[in-house]
Amino acid sequence: MSDPILSLRDLKLGFKTYEGLVEVLHGISLRIGRGEKVALVGESGSGKSVTARIILGLLQELKAARISGAIHFDGADLEKLSRRERQALRGTRMSMIFQDPTSSLNPVFPIHVQFHEVLRRMDRNLTQKQGMQRAISLLTDVSIPEPERVLQAYAFQLSGGMNQRVMIAMALANEPSLLIADEPGTALDVTVQAQTLHLMRDLVVRKGTSVLFISHNLGVVREFADRVYVIYKGRIVEHGPTDTLFSKPLHPYTKALMAAVPRITGGGIPDIAENSEAFLDPMIDHEVEVPA
Amino acid sequence: MIEKTAELVPVLEARNISKTFKAATHEVRALDGVNLSVARGECLAIVGESGSGKTTLANMLLGIYPPTTGEMLLDGALLPARRNLPLRRAIQLVQQNPLSSLNPRRTIGASLRLALDVHDIGTRQERKTRIAALLDEVGLPTEFASRYPSALSGGQRQRVAIARALACEPEILVLDEPTSALDVLVQARVLRLLDELRHRKALTYVFITHDLAVVRNIADRVAVFERGIMVEMADTETIFTNPGNAYTRSLIGAIPIITDEEEALRKTVLENKSAH
Ligand SMILES: Nc1ncnc2c1ncn2[C@@H]1O[C@H](COP(=O)(O)OP(=O)(O)OP(=O)(O)O)[C@@H](O)[C@H]1O
Ligand SMILES: Nc1ncnc2c1ncn2[C@@H]1O[C@H](COP(=O)(O)OP(=O)(O)OP(=O)(O)O)[C@@H](O)[C@H]1O
Ligand SMILES: [Mg+2]
Ligand SMILES: [Mg+2]
Repeated sequence: MSDPILSLRDLKLGFKTYEGLVEVLHGISLRIGRGEKVALVGESGSGKSVTARIILGLLQELKAARISGAIHFDGADLEKLSRRERQALRGTRMSMIFQDPTSSLNPVFPIHVQFHEVLRRMDRNLTQKQGMQRAISLLTDVSIPEPERVLQAYAFQLSGGMNQRVMIAMALANEPSLLIADEPGTALDVTVQAQTLHLMRDLVVRKGTSVLFISHNLGVVREFADRVYVIYKGRIVEHGPTDTLFSKPLHPYTKALMAAVPRITGGGIPDIAENSEAFLDPMIDHEVEVPA
Repeated sequence: MIEKTAELVPVLEARNISKTFKAATHEVRALDGVNLSVARGECLAIVGESGSGKTTLANMLLGIYPPTTGEMLLDGALLPARRNLPLRRAIQLVQQNPLSSLNPRRTIGASLRLALDVHDIGTRQERKTRIAALLDEVGLPTEFASRYPSALSGGQRQRVAIARALACEPEILVLDEPTSALDVLVQARVLRLLDELRHRKALTYVFITHDLAVVRNIADRVAVFERGIMVEMADTETIFTNPGNAYTRSLIGAIPIITDEEEALRKTVLENKSAH
């Protein structure tokens, strides 16, 4: 792969606590090519969202976080950028759809104020009226039926899926080079979800945007991603092209995940096989072998 | 199917429920004339468009706010706008996000005890035993009582949330996206637990979710909502193999799937469109 938009090499993360250092990431390496859609899937609590927050430079601002490893974005070493330079990247060339939509929006400002702020990051001279028009068209793109009403509303007056769509619209607004989507479809019905995936694909095609797509929904991952990384307890245990990974999973954890997906053809809720049970215990720290 | 439901005792009924939210400049009709009856011991799934009023319905079932018009009945008796403690005890909620619904500064035991205290259940000693029994019921060891939520995995936290909802022995659980934040392995574990508890304790579930594959494998009947209106209600098998409503068909046709058999099912449902 020539010149990736993002590369992480041996990324480690720990949190300093009263009981000592809690290690969360044990050396993550991954690359995302230009115009590539890469999925990160795996265990709840395995370190997906923290990885995203490190890429955005958000965790670096937390005192308790201990981070090491190399992060390159568009050829630049992120650790060498000043705080201001990193801030300038966020919401413009890199943007993120955060996992918990309702609590990620600001509760004290109506939606249009937050939208305007995002749009002004790219265009300092944007007028109120232009901003409104642009916001309405972006919200229409994510299938919001009454964009004017939604813009005047506060997050608590909207449904979970409406807040999620507002966040998706904001993240797409400035057509970033890298879009990080952290569980972007959890609160959406399947038809609206399909529409948002279509928008992301469209951005990839038009602008060469790259996407890091984090999701528990393996069906969506199969339909959307070019490549998949599987993370388990802070380690990448397997990665490969989407088709290969779904047809021939190698690592026992990946196999266990695939077997646990409920099917729309029925057959009951999957019974977790005995040998997969161990993956569910947070107190067992597995020695995981990474296939070459 | 209608005959079968009529034989079962409706434990919860919504009659012609509407809800309008009023803001300064406009009104939002979140629900419009919904009629719904949940049988004792059944799992009724509520699915549909985002923003179609599912959470609004859940909030009204729990008595968080009353409907604008219409009435609700529990065991055949009208539910008042202001519910007393026993009525609140009968219907409990399990929320989507186990991390934000558990207080991080309270141990698991303290969180469970609070639920017992609120409903004034048992003596001090009995509460202690009850906490151990509750943890056991959801498959967690007694030692977990002294742990904080941060020392639990996502699935374990969600089990604590279920234990807390069960603390005051409700008849009905309203589950609003209870597993959408969990990986599929943990999800399967939690869903199997919910299924087993329902049968063992004769619980009734109102299960709100966007995950139709989950619905297929856990629900007895499915109600489909679009723009505040219940557009279809049928048994699960019918919804997935021969839905009668165009919106339901479009939902089934858009489910992301992973196997060829599922692909075939999706295709059949979409092709049936012409037959209707
Ligand atoms: N600020 C923090 N302080 C201490 N520990 C933290 C902090 N943020 C995250 N963690 C821990 O880091 C681990 C990884 O968390 P992360 O949110 O990345 O998980 P995830 O893979 O996104 O899980 P999910 O699928 O449930 O969203 C978890 O064990 C979490 O408790
Ligand atoms: N407190 C409120 N004030 C004003 N409007 C509200 C309020 N709560 C909900 N609404 C509106 O009612 C409608 C239904 O919202 P609700 O949260 O019930 O949808 P939902 O079906 O749960 O959607 P989702 O699947 O996205 O969670 C939406 O248009 C929403 O904006
Ligand atoms: Mg996460
Ligand atoms: Mg909702």
